[in-house]
Amino acid sequence: MVTSSNFQSTTAPMDSSATTTGRPAPKASAAAPAPGIGRTLIDIDHVDFYYGAKQALFDVNVKLEEKRVTAFIGPSGCGKSTLLRCLNRMNDLIDGTAIRKGSIKIRDVDIYGRDVDPIELRKRVGMVFQKSNPFPKSIYENIAYGLRIQGRNKKSDLDEVVEKSLRGAALWDEVKDRLHESGLGLSGGQQQRLCIARTIAVSPEVILMDEPCSALDPIATAKVEELIHELKKEFTIIIVTHSMQQAARCSDKTAFFYMGQLIEYDDTKKIFMNPSNPQTEAYVSGRFG
Amino acid sequence: MSSANSDTAPASPGTFLIQKERTRFFGLTLDECIKTFFGGNAVVAVVVLGLITLFLFREGADFFGQNRESLRVYRQAGLEYVDIMRETERDHTALTRYLFDIRLQALKALTADGLSVAEANAKLAAFDDFSYAYGDAVLNVRGLVSDLTEAASAIKTKANVADDRRIERDQYLAAGMTAEAAAVTVEDVDFATEVKAITGTLPFYKDELTNFGTELERVVTELPVLPVPEVQPRLERFRQLTRQYVAGFPDNVERLENWDQFAPVPLSRSFTSFIFGTQWLTASFWQDWYGVVPLFVGSLMVSTIALFIAVPLGVGAAVYVNQIASPREQRFIKPFIEFISAIPSVVLGFFGIAMLGTALRAMSQWEAMSWVPGFPFAERLNALTAGCLLAVIAVPTIFTLAEDAINNVPRAFKEASFALGASRLQTILRIIVPASLSGIVSAVLLGLGRVIGETMVVLLCAGNRIAIPDFTEGLAAFMQPVHTMTGIIAQEMGEVVRGSIHYRALFVVGLLLFFIALTINFLAQKIVRKYRISVG
Repeated sequence: MVTSSNFQSTTAPMDSSATTTGRPAPKASAAAPAPGIGRTLIDIDHVDFYYGAKQALFDVNVKLEEKRVTAFIGPSGCGKSTLLRCLNRMNDLIDGTAIRKGSIKIRDVDIYGRDVDPIELRKRVGMVFQKSNPFPKSIYENIAYGLRIQGRNKKSDLDEVVEKSLRGAALWDEVKDRLHESGLGLSGGQQQRLCIARTIAVSPEVILMDEPCSALDPIATAKVEELIHELKKEFTIIIVTHSMQQAARCSDKTAFFYMGQLIEYDDTKKIFMNPSNPQTEAYVSGRFG
Repeated sequence: MSSANSDTAPASPGTFLIQKERTRFFGLTLDECIKTFFGGNAVVAVVVLGLITLFLFREGADFFGQNRESLRVYRQAGLEYVDIMRETERDHTALTRYLFDIRLQALKALTADGLSVAEANAKLAAFDDFSYAYGDAVLNVRGLVSDLTEAASAIKTKANVADDRRIERDQYLAAGMTAEAAAVTVEDVDFATEVKAITGTLPFYKDELTNFGTELERVVTELPVLPVPEVQPRLERFRQLTRQYVAGFPDNVERLENWDQFAPVPLSRSFTSFIFGTQWLTASFWQDWYGVVPLFVGSLMVSTIALFIAVPLGVGAAVYVNQIASPREQRFIKPFIEFISAIPSVVLGFFGIAMLGTALRAMSQWEAMSWVPGFPFAERLNALTAGCLLAVIAVPTIFTLAEDAINNVPRAFKEASFALGASRLQTILRIIVPASLSGIVSAVLLGLGRVIGETMVVLLCAGNRIAIPDFTEGLAAFMQPVHTMTGIIAQEMGEVVRGSIHYRALFVVGLLLFFIALTINFLAQKIVRKYRISVG
């Protein structure tokens, strides 16, 4: 959280010059042990996004940091999931979607660039969905799938990755005796952790989580949140959540969206204790949303 | 509200009024009437299905008794005995055919070397002498079998006439016309004495057989030398086959000696002669055979061809429409394919005769297509033509049901797969199709059910030859005309005498079809239920 104060929030979408001038140099002051921590990884630069004729994101401008957990919060329909799905180009699957202005860069590469293969992008930017969606295959095959589609079919290789991923998702001890049973036989929370394990098996850099706990009970939620804490040592995590407690508990940085605009982006602590924008304050204190 | 209630709590103007007089018809409220109406419809459907099944069984069941009777007469009138003798002659004919085949091969080789046909024939003169001698050797045996055939069929005719008379007399008696009944003379056939005339020829047959054997041995000791050396080994093989054949004569004689005219025919024999019988021969002067195998094989072959074509087309189209096509394409393709099922099958059959059969045959005669097994073929109407048209009928069924199954795969699977970096093709092949496989399999099964029950197209286009295709020719068997179970019912039902064995045999074929269709539908439902994906 060393670099947190370097970020300024955009209080109004039109006021983009303020953000541009306040660009930080986060690397300079980074003194954290893990390499690259806190460095800008994803640069979302003044993005306007459209579903057909309908504009869903208005001049969103934010830099997301490496090996941190960033939470996107905001009321339903505010564009947080849309932005998340822009980051691995899942929106490509929907007809008529387009970024009409601005760019998104990961490690300085424009992910909507002409030469970018969305398939390669999605291998580097994994995603966990709101509803756990294991494939109707065995637990083992669910995790091996990401490797098999890359042509990695060697048994020893797969065995190793499956175990490592399941351990990484804190699921190994629960399922190690039934790896070849269907993934659909697991409980809701286990299924969601299986999906996380499946995602980390292809060793992405970024994991996008789209309300990963909204369908889970409190105990399962606590396990996933604990897992997020562990995962941020290795991955950059961006999580969309409706639960402000969850954002407060497990994120380092929080971005508040409203009506397709980024209202405020800052340290989680600051957002929840002392937000600079009155709308943010109203939302986090539960007065609207 | 009960009166007891109003006792304890005195009724006030604002009392709790929930009772209402309802209109009743025949003592039933409107709700109950509606329930009865719908329930009644369901019952009618079930009852009708039950009646159909019962009717099929009732009409078909007698077949096995009648067939057993027919087989009994076949044995007692000595027809079976003569057929055992005939085997000798038949096997000889098969060997002669082998000889013709050798000659054809030699002739082809010679003409390929640049000789004219006349020259080639001249070169084969020695071979021809040999083959004439071989063919003539059978004449005496053939003559004897031919005489006995007539004798046996005369006995059978006599027995049939006696049966008819007996029925006539019984009918008179039943009608109370005793005088007329007495006028009908029934000449009972004494099978034992009558057949003596046939079995009595055994010593003579034995002699003939011995002579025949020696003659064949003599003929094959001196094999002609063919002008084409590469065919010579086949001739050697032929000699071997002939020796085996002659060595089998004692067996044949032994079977004749042990033949028991009055051995009982078990009912199971009647059953097996239907299920495993390889001949469907009706209105024959000799013996009628009702063996379902040629028809079953025919049905199976056209269905196989149909599925072979329709499964890739139907499933492929379903995958495309559901997963790849743009909404505009979807709106165009879906109704178009579903429209195919609106074409009456007789129109399709007509198209098959007028267009497809001719086109396929013309195509088979192209030089460029000669690598295809069975090409070129001469029969315009054959299993292939019928199968191609049946595929057209099966495609809409398979397409619609498979598309449905694919559509039922949750979108979440697709998204998860893409999010892991899978391409569209990988997602389809590894996630979508496996997840909907049970639905696709049942779609294919229901397509099969549709195809195997289809009548008009096969009747018009399958060629209607009641014979098991020659599978020794490999895939070329599929270019031969066949007859099917549905086709034979449609073709023959109009011409048979009601209640006759032939009539009942057709019903049993119908029953068999019914059970096949039932099994297929049952399996399809079971597969869907068992493997339906539970979306967690």
